[in-house]
Amino acid sequence: MKAKLIQEYIHYTLEHNNTPQSVYLFAKSVGISEQEFYNHFSGLETLESEIYQTWFEEAMNKCTTSSPWNDYSAREKVLAVFYTFIESLKPNRSFIKFLKERDFKSLPKWPAYLNGLHHSFMSHLKPILNDGIASTEIAERKYIDTKYADGLWLNFLFVLKFWIDDASPAFEKTDAAIEKSVNLAVDLMGKSALDAALDFGKFLFQNK
Amino acid sequence: MEQNSIPSTKVQRAMRFVKTGAQIGGNYIKHYSKKMVDPSLSKDELHENNANDVYNALSELKGSALKVAQMLSMEKNILPRQYTNKFQMAQYSAPPLSGPLIVQTFIKAFGKTPQEIFDTFEMKASNAASIGQVHKATLGDKQLAIKIQYPGVAESIKSDLKIVKPIAFRLLDMNEKELEKYIKEVESKLLEETDYELEFKRSIEITEACKHIPNLVFTNYYKAFTSNRVLTMDWLDGMHLDDFLKTNPSQEIRNIIGQAMWDFYDMQVHELKAVHADPHPGNFLMQTEGKLGVIDFGCVKEIPEDFYLNYFSLLIPEIMQSATTMRNIMLQQQIITVNDSERTQQIITDAFTKMTTLLRTPFDEEEFDFGNNAYIDQIYALGEEVSKIDELKKSKEGRGSQHALYINRTYFGLYSILNVLQARIKTGIRNWKKPLIEYHLTKLN
Repeated sequence: MKAKLIQEYIHYTLEHNNTPQSVYLFAKSVGISEQEFYNHFSGLETLESEIYQTWFEEAMNKCTTSSPWNDYSAREKVLAVFYTFIESLKPNRSFIKFLKERDFKSLPKWPAYLNGLHHSFMSHLKPILNDGIASTEIAERKYIDTKYADGLWLNFLFVLKFWIDDASPAFEKTDAAIEKSVNLAVDLMGKSALDAALDFGKFLFQNK
Repeated sequence: MEQNSIPSTKVQRAMRFVKTGAQIGGNYIKHYSKKMVDPSLSKDELHENNANDVYNALSELKGSALKVAQMLSMEKNILPRQYTNKFQMAQYSAPPLSGPLIVQTFIKAFGKTPQEIFDTFEMKASNAASIGQVHKATLGDKQLAIKIQYPGVAESIKSDLKIVKPIAFRLLDMNEKELEKYIKEVESKLLEETDYELEFKRSIEITEACKHIPNLVFTNYYKAFTSNRVLTMDWLDGMHLDDFLKTNPSQEIRNIIGQAMWDFYDMQVHELKAVHADPHPGNFLMQTEGKLGVIDFGCVKEIPEDFYLNYFSLLIPEIMQSATTMRNIMLQQQIITVNDSERTQQIITDAFTKMTTLLRTPFDEEEFDFGNNAYIDQIYALGEEVSKIDELKKSKEGRGSQHALYINRTYFGLYSILNVLQARIKTGIRNWKKPLIEYHLTKLN
């Protein structure tokens, strides 16, 4: 029933070129009672925030059951999540565009309807990054490494916006944007010249 | 001059050009301030300063911008040979595709992952292609090679060309309209190379027409696993030129392979009038028993009829003897124009006669030894000499038809490969001269 209500919500929005203004109006158009609606969602905002979340959980499921997943490094897993999720959004592009026009201003803030997605994103990406740290693909850095997932979330918001505005054939530019931005993000998380520089700086500071 | 750091982003590349532009501007200021003091100063020093700055800029560039600069410079001989050689192998260099991007490309093209389509699929690329990479896969008992292209290459080529245009006007000292036709030619070829569906079509056509040539091997292509960014073919065994030579092939084997290559080009140029215009060593696979494999039909130049009738006539001594015919051909090929003074026309015609006489040497005899290094050196030397002719240097017009760009490159590449291969070739097998001689005779009468 939850899935059906989400589908109806998207349908309603596209048909009316506006989101339902009240639970009453929405329930009426679906043909259920307002009370029935509350059995599934506490309000329209909750429903909205679960839309992206549902899509993301589906994409994650698809990712983790695909054959190369277990052979992937942390970098490749992050890339695969981004590609699969963005690809899965395609059938609902009009609805996503509508929501973006309504409410999706400048980064690093994000609209309330992405809160559910944010929650799921963090809970799936953190273990991937921790595995990366365990395998030393990603550098362990005190205080900073807990922020890695937040960085990827911003990276994701950038990609999402990029895709929504992308006019290239078959969204080729979005593919390039994912490839380049995620590679950069993971490179930054890996051991780099920066660590060596900090280490050297610390040494000089302590021994002058 | 070393190509150490490659400016990779568009902004960086643009900055590099801006910097060069500013330097050239500075050179002009320097020149004119010196000239105020010393009015006898010629422009030669200025050209030299400009050229140096341009080389420095070019050596830091990669990608299609470099390729364009390289093609244009070959045409006007603006770069000394050392540089042209260095740039010859320059390719669009895309970063490697990640595993998930390969999967994503397959899903977009075929709705399935490569693991779902093939029995095995190696996620690690076995070769870098110019604008993508090659993966090995198996399906049933077949070994396959799958070429996958980086997303957005076509877009990136277009934006690179926008960057290269303004500097090219300055660098080649040509007017915009003249240069445009060359840029268009290069741009259209580069963009064609990004369309794997077109390459599929051409591969089939040329393979069909040339498969009867002895010792030449082609591969099969698979339509079902081909899209505009994925091209699937049978894996072809063989070595690239360098590795092949390390096996110390006998003179006989060298001749056989060289002959196959020569016959292949003869057939394309004179029969198909469409030619594999990228004869660099990476596109040929040589097998020790004396077979030549041809891959990569991304760059095919179609030869227009009237261009063909004139360009190749320049290689026939009987035709060149007639001054009238010679003049007509030079005009048709836009090497000289009616606006040129008679003196200029004469100087340019003489230079070109000298050059084509040298270039056609392999066609003059029934057999030619490309292992003759002195001959290749002579070509280089003459190229330098021609580039120093003032009438050509000062010309604001582009000399030569735009179609000649890729045909010249093709023969230049072919001669170099045969030279490295040290092959002795029977060059006179195909009688392509007769129809051309008859054509020009009827035109005279």
